[in-house]
Amino acid sequence: MKNVLIGGIGNILLGDDGVGPYIARLLTAFFEFDEGVEIADLGTPALDLIDQISGRDAIILIDSIKVDCAPGSVLLYRKPDIMRHRPEVRMDPHSPALVETLLSVEMFAVAPRDVLLIGIAGTSYNSGCSLSAAVAASVPQAIAAIQAELDRLGVTYCRRERPIESGIWWTVPKPAPLPSSA
Amino acid sequence: MAKRITIDPITRIEGHLRIDVEVDNNAVNNAWASCTMWRGIETILRGRDPRDAWMFTQRFCGVCTTVHAMASVRAVEDALNLEVPLNAQYIRNLILIAHALHDHIVHFYQLSALDWVDILQIPKADPEKTAKLAESLSPWTRNSREEFTAAQNKVKAVAASGQLGIFMNGYWGHPAMRLSPEVNLLAFTHYVQALEYQRKALQVVGMLGSKTPHIQNLTVGGVANAIDLDSPSALGMDRLEAIHVLLNDVVRFVNEVYFIDVCAVAAMYPEWFKIGSGVRNYLAVPDLPLDTKASAYDLPGGYITNGNLGGVHAFKTASDKEFRESVSEDVTHAYYRGDKPLHPWVGETDPAFTGWDGEQKYSWVKAPRFQGQPMQVGPLAQVLIGYAQGHPLTRKYADLALSKVSAVAGVHATPDMLHSTLGRHAARAIRAAMLAELAQKHWQLLVDNIAKGDFTVHNQPVFNGEVEGVGTHEAPRGTLSHWVVVKDAKIKNYQAVVPSTWNASPRDRSGAHGPYEAALLRTPLARPEEPLEVLRTVHSFDPCMACACHAFDPSGRQIAKVKVL
Repeated sequence: MKNVLIGGIGNILLGDDGVGPYIARLLTAFFEFDEGVEIADLGTPALDLIDQISGRDAIILIDSIKVDCAPGSVLLYRKPDIMRHRPEVRMDPHSPALVETLLSVEMFAVAPRDVLLIGIAGTSYNSGCSLSAAVAASVPQAIAAIQAELDRLGVTYCRRERPIESGIWWTVPKPAPLPSSA
Repeated sequence: MAKRITIDPITRIEGHLRIDVEVDNNAVNNAWASCTMWRGIETILRGRDPRDAWMFTQRFCGVCTTVHAMASVRAVEDALNLEVPLNAQYIRNLILIAHALHDHIVHFYQLSALDWVDILQIPKADPEKTAKLAESLSPWTRNSREEFTAAQNKVKAVAASGQLGIFMNGYWGHPAMRLSPEVNLLAFTHYVQALEYQRKALQVVGMLGSKTPHIQNLTVGGVANAIDLDSPSALGMDRLEAIHVLLNDVVRFVNEVYFIDVCAVAAMYPEWFKIGSGVRNYLAVPDLPLDTKASAYDLPGGYITNGNLGGVHAFKTASDKEFRESVSEDVTHAYYRGDKPLHPWVGETDPAFTGWDGEQKYSWVKAPRFQGQPMQVGPLAQVLIGYAQGHPLTRKYADLALSKVSAVAGVHATPDMLHSTLGRHAARAIRAAMLAELAQKHWQLLVDNIAKGDFTVHNQPVFNGEVEGVGTHEAPRGTLSHWVVVKDAKIKNYQAVVPSTWNASPRDRSGAHGPYEAALLRTPLARPEEPLEVLRTVHSFDPCMACACHAFDPSGRQIAKVKVL
């Protein structure tokens, strides 16, 4: 059985930056997965991301991205795309550190073989607990991308007959149910 | 002719620390610390249920989640004058201790050791000699030739690949790097091991808080842990024993590795006990309450002005009247409207961005002041304040550290040397050793209290009218305070004055520098275009201000990491 982490990254207090944790919680509410799959709302991790991804077969991270595309665009990145960055000089040593994390787990030979970052182009990062309309509308597409990656990895999952409580406690109103096509 | 150096890591999307220094004759003659983003997260809390505030505040920061949760419930409890049951105090204390140990270990090894340790010297080291050296310093059983060889091979492999991977950004071979190949290897081997032990500390947070990075077990008035000695799903003896085993491993790592390494590395850079002092006003709040009313504590608090240890003032409680009445925030040089310093309960946050101007406004960080003075916060403040009060646990580990530094450096190390860049690292290690001892104490206190048949974990909050409170926590980076005004069971105002705000503070109306700024003045730079010395001092504070927003920038463009003008 594959050990897979599906992790939502971002700050739920800053508008579209909360889309990662939002999707992570929706997945738990609407789907059941193989035992080896862990769904996590990771918040805004720094180097503790190393512990989260060490020794996994695959990771799927969901994060907002700043990119020159229409808000709500869903873009997929593999390891080489992410590694085009150089780690930066750390002024504030607690920087969010996806590149450093991946480099570290490679050095310690505990890197996941499959890495997928699902990026959702955000538009508003002002303080507030709700997603912009464009980002909210992109959620089914992002979930479809997660499903496609799980299919590719040979990991099984199914929709719950009856969704459980999503645990998205920070937005009012609560999120609408997923369309049946998702 | 003075040169301006800006260190501004621009790959970060939003909000981070920027440092500008003016360099003349290879020394810093002026400095500005600024934060590049406004968050204003506190406004989200207005109108919400005060019992839920902690769930929001623990999202302020991705690294210091737990500390903001704790300060928040304490603020509401202070406003309500609500006692917290003993079990809840001990469980909270254990979470805070475990989180702090994780944080201090990661700070030294993963986040700042490579300011002092030159990775590229490691292939030249002799693992056998390294093992002999290590044996002379510590009884740690993992100081074997095999461990050192394995760590050395990792570095050799990375170096041989032609790409430095995780190490591509260091100032390797910089003239300010001075450790022998063997000491470099020793420290790097512990860098690798540190990852394991910080994880064990976090596991303790998760076992008590039910999850990391965001704990779930707090409530205003206590905790939500069900205590049942025989149930595997509740907090029972099995889980308590597992926590004990993890804590003991972490305690050994702190005493036999971290504490020793800090003393040894510090002893080899003795000039850094004379650099980086800056603001010598120190502030710390008491923490680790020992009773339900929080009237006695295991960590002392108070304040020191002008480095005068003999004149230390003690705070009796974590919401001491003098503390409550003495904090204000000044926005003279911050991007906000307002013309006078305001107390956090009546604090305003009215943003007005005008662009970086060192003479006028240059930061999104407000300037917190205590009795009108800038204050340095963090482990150094806590250790000096405890030391000055004759606090036995502080003295025990501070004296031990000073004697170890003296022995290795062949000098007589005194508490006065702690006002420095290395003093901040030493104080963090001293505090970690104190917390390690207290971890075992509070575990025992919890077990003994449960054994008496006390299973209480929560007191019910009752809201009436308008009340105000302050919740403090002496966090890994120093004094954290959350200030809340509650009206008719809803939050009317909320302000968080976080440790990095004290330390990264800009100048105030009188022109007084904040602690980072003051600490950088007169720092010598061997190569201004590679300002390693600036990073050493800034990192010694353990800054944390950028974690709030995290959006990945996929463009991968090369960064202008250091600009020399």
